[in-house]
Amino acid sequence: MTWSERWKRWLRPPRTLKITRIGRTYIVITVGVGLGALNTGNNLLYLVLGFLLSIIVLSGVLSERVIRDLRVRRVLPEGAFAMEPFALRYEVTRQKGLAFAVKVSEAGGVVEGWAWIPTIHAGQPVMARADVTAPRRGPLRLKEVELSTYFPFGLFEKTRSFELDDVMLIWPRRGFTCDPPDADHGLQHGELGNQRHRDGSGDVQGLRELGELEDARRIHWKKSATTAGKLLKVEREREDRKQYTLRITSEMPGDQLERACEETAALTTRLLEEGNDVGLEAGGRKIRAASGPGHERRILSALAVLGYAMPERKP
Amino acid sequence: MRLESRRALRLRLRDLAAASSFAAVAFSGSLPIYVTVIFIATLILSLAGARPFATRPVWSVVVLLFTAVILFGLAFRGALDLVIAAVAFATLVTGQRMLSDPSPGTDQQVLLASLLLIAGAAALSGDVWFAICLFSFGVFACLSLGMAVVEGPVERDEELPLAPVMRQVSGGVGLALVGGIAFFILFPRLSWNVAARRSGPGLLGGTTGMTDSVRLGGGGDIKTSARVVLRAKIEPPPRNERLERYWVGRHFDNFDGREWRGTGTPGVPRPRITLGDPNGATLQRIELLPAYDSRTLVGLENPVYFGPATALNSGGTTNAMLIRVGEEEVRFAEEANAYTYTVQSRDDYPMLEDDPAVLEGLKTLPAKLDPRVRELAARIVGNETEPDRVGRRLENWLRSNLKYTLELPGEVDDPLADFLFARKEGHCEHFATALAVLLRTRGIPTRVVGGFFGGELIGERYVVRAGDAHAWVEAYSPVRGWMTFDATPEDGRGSQPQALIARLIDGWERVEELWRSKVVDYSIVDQWTFVRSLVRPPRGASGGDDRPDPQAPTTRTPTRAIVYALGAALLFWVVWQWTGRTRRRVHPAADFLAELEKRLTAAHITLQPGEDLEALPVRLRAERHRLAEPVWKAVRRYLEARFGQRPLGKDERRSLLEPLGPPNR
Repeated sequence: MTWSERWKRWLRPPRTLKITRIGRTYIVITVGVGLGALNTGNNLLYLVLGFLLSIIVLSGVLSERVIRDLRVRRVLPEGAFAMEPFALRYEVTRQKGLAFAVKVSEAGGVVEGWAWIPTIHAGQPVMARADVTAPRRGPLRLKEVELSTYFPFGLFEKTRSFELDDVMLIWPRRGFTCDPPDADHGLQHGELGNQRHRDGSGDVQGLRELGELEDARRIHWKKSATTAGKLLKVEREREDRKQYTLRITSEMPGDQLERACEETAALTTRLLEEGNDVGLEAGGRKIRAASGPGHERRILSALAVLGYAMPERKP
Repeated sequence: MRLESRRALRLRLRDLAAASSFAAVAFSGSLPIYVTVIFIATLILSLAGARPFATRPVWSVVVLLFTAVILFGLAFRGALDLVIAAVAFATLVTGQRMLSDPSPGTDQQVLLASLLLIAGAAALSGDVWFAICLFSFGVFACLSLGMAVVEGPVERDEELPLAPVMRQVSGGVGLALVGGIAFFILFPRLSWNVAARRSGPGLLGGTTGMTDSVRLGGGGDIKTSARVVLRAKIEPPPRNERLERYWVGRHFDNFDGREWRGTGTPGVPRPRITLGDPNGATLQRIELLPAYDSRTLVGLENPVYFGPATALNSGGTTNAMLIRVGEEEVRFAEEANAYTYTVQSRDDYPMLEDDPAVLEGLKTLPAKLDPRVRELAARIVGNETEPDRVGRRLENWLRSNLKYTLELPGEVDDPLADFLFARKEGHCEHFATALAVLLRTRGIPTRVVGGFFGGELIGERYVVRAGDAHAWVEAYSPVRGWMTFDATPEDGRGSQPQALIARLIDGWERVEELWRSKVVDYSIVDQWTFVRSLVRPPRGASGGDDRPDPQAPTTRTPTRAIVYALGAALLFWVVWQWTGRTRRRVHPAADFLAELEKRLTAAHITLQPGEDLEALPVRLRAERHRLAEPVWKAVRRYLEARFGQRPLGKDERRSLLEPLGPPNR
């Protein structure tokens, strides 16, 4: 950091000071004692006033010591549902000295909730968990983390901001569901993760050449030996599950789109839990029908960004 | 420390802070007794862990509002001082909060209400007790607040070390006290008003011997009392530590054989009373304390002028009117807890009496006087008639033939005859009565005087104890006026307290004197003197002569102030560093990580947003970075050392870091 940057930083430190409720009352009493001292010339009131003012100054100095040498790192989850609490973790470290009563929260109120750290020792990272709630679906840009402290007397809340640019996906709110659409006609070709894969346990449907990344255990070695270097694979029919492709367009007005996303997300979860394959066609993007928790997150993530442009993070 | 222990400690500290603030008010003695009883009961309940208002918050608030209406109604009607009403209400609010559901928020409310009590105590009390209570309140309240803050908005039952918190807050409180004192000393006294001083009735009541009559019989318990009843600043100041002088209070002229009484008629109340020419008189600024408990004004011998007086009560200060009661005494017109006034006395002033009828009345003897008394007087005096010589002969005889004692159990019919002829020992009242009656048998107008003898210099003021109460005699000479005679042996005139108690009270009085002169009476003049003494020493201080020349120029410059300021700043810095020092409890691997990060920064390798340390070498490998392998090794080894219980040796550490290059390229 250059001297000019240091100078600018010293002049405009990234700090904010908020007076708490008890702090407001304290200041009112201090002003009252001050007026009483000036009005009456009572030296004991001057003594009390001096003590009260010293406490205010001391609060500022000690709270500055608390938040001065802190470093923070945010640990994001893969995603979270809107309007549902999820865990956001912060690792806070301190190079020297001690810190007390530190509150960690996201700047700008993008999510509701905070983490509380009673004590931080130098060189011992503390992992704090905040149960936060995101208000809406979409990519959530987290720009700054705020570290606040009420130390030492709870009269003021001093806050320091740390620039930590991250984007996390907020999936549509759960809870809305409707009747599922008709299942797709005919079975889908291809196995999980592969359009041409059939991994059912029903009757043999035929043989075909093994594709890239397909399971080698399904190779029919005897038939393959008859071909000139080709590996043939057995395809069996899947009879125990249906396939659904959910469709949603991004051309709807805001509220309708939100509701459609929420319904689609709820439907996805329901159908997958029932053992079906679910695919999605949303805003020009296609996800083929499949199952599994990873697949559910893929669909939810696609729904999360529907109608939004993904923000770019600062390098 | 677990949650339960923490909460218990926090509540104890909170209750102690509240008790300290209440004590500051209670020591003023101004609070109604029912408020004191309520608070003490509240404190006991709170310390016992009872919270009866936790389940009845609404009802307790309704009761509180009801008491507020009563208290302020009384204040509105003039039955209660407004400040006392406010302090009483703050006491009740504090109690209500103490017995409510305990939480960090409730604690803060208790402490804020206690702060109001402290402010009220500052208005009601000027005693050194206030300083002690303020200090203890500050310490307990800050520690309690510090604990509440670290606890957080939601109490969680997890282990929390409190020692570091307490250390930081304690250091902070020490600095706050120093800052408060600095503010007190330096903040200009720009008050546009001067507050009326207040005085409570005192906690121990009155103990003085200044009564309306002198009754013979009984012991002299008062002589052992070490309590201070008056303070006097005398101008010009006598140069001796112990003042061997009489403080005149009342004259008693009528003796019935057992009791002396005054027969004066009260005059009209006046702000000032002149008894003689005050020119060249000794000025005394006297403060009668609540322990004095009498309305009689006292002054050094031959008071000639009683000046403006003020009466101090719990409600404030008022100008006091004075009443002259014949030749008997000057008294205050109204009852008060304490008084201040000035009196001027002239040692050499011939107090002459013009009225022959008055002088004749002062020769009256009791109806049943033992005939042996007359015979004794005649035998001692012989043919001498000159009042001065008669008085000295009688005084000497009594002093040398009778003993001084405070042990006088039992009642007798004729205490004077018993003293002179049977028991032959007594205290000052017996000696004074005997001398007065013996003088009267010789036809000399005589009266007994009640007052004090002595006084000790403490600070700038002389203090007089209750045990200094004394009785002596004034006899009238047509040539010299009223003359003083004291037949009491010298060792029986002043107070005779127990040595230890007297020493303790002396020590306390010195502290009080310091407190009064340096704090309570601190003024802008003292500030100016202090600042001036910082900048420049007293004029002529550099001269070799013991007596400074006021005209001589100062030899030092304001650099002295600069040196002081630098010294203070250095001291502050040292204290700051000392309070901020902490033992680093760093994991051994954390230093390695810090060094690793420095070297990575120097090599322009930074973590990308969202990337953790573990992912960094993976990315570097994918990018085929030249330092990918050393970074991989270093990171893996750090993670093992930090989380895998595999310590990192010094040599190994060096070998891991060296391939990454120097840390400050």
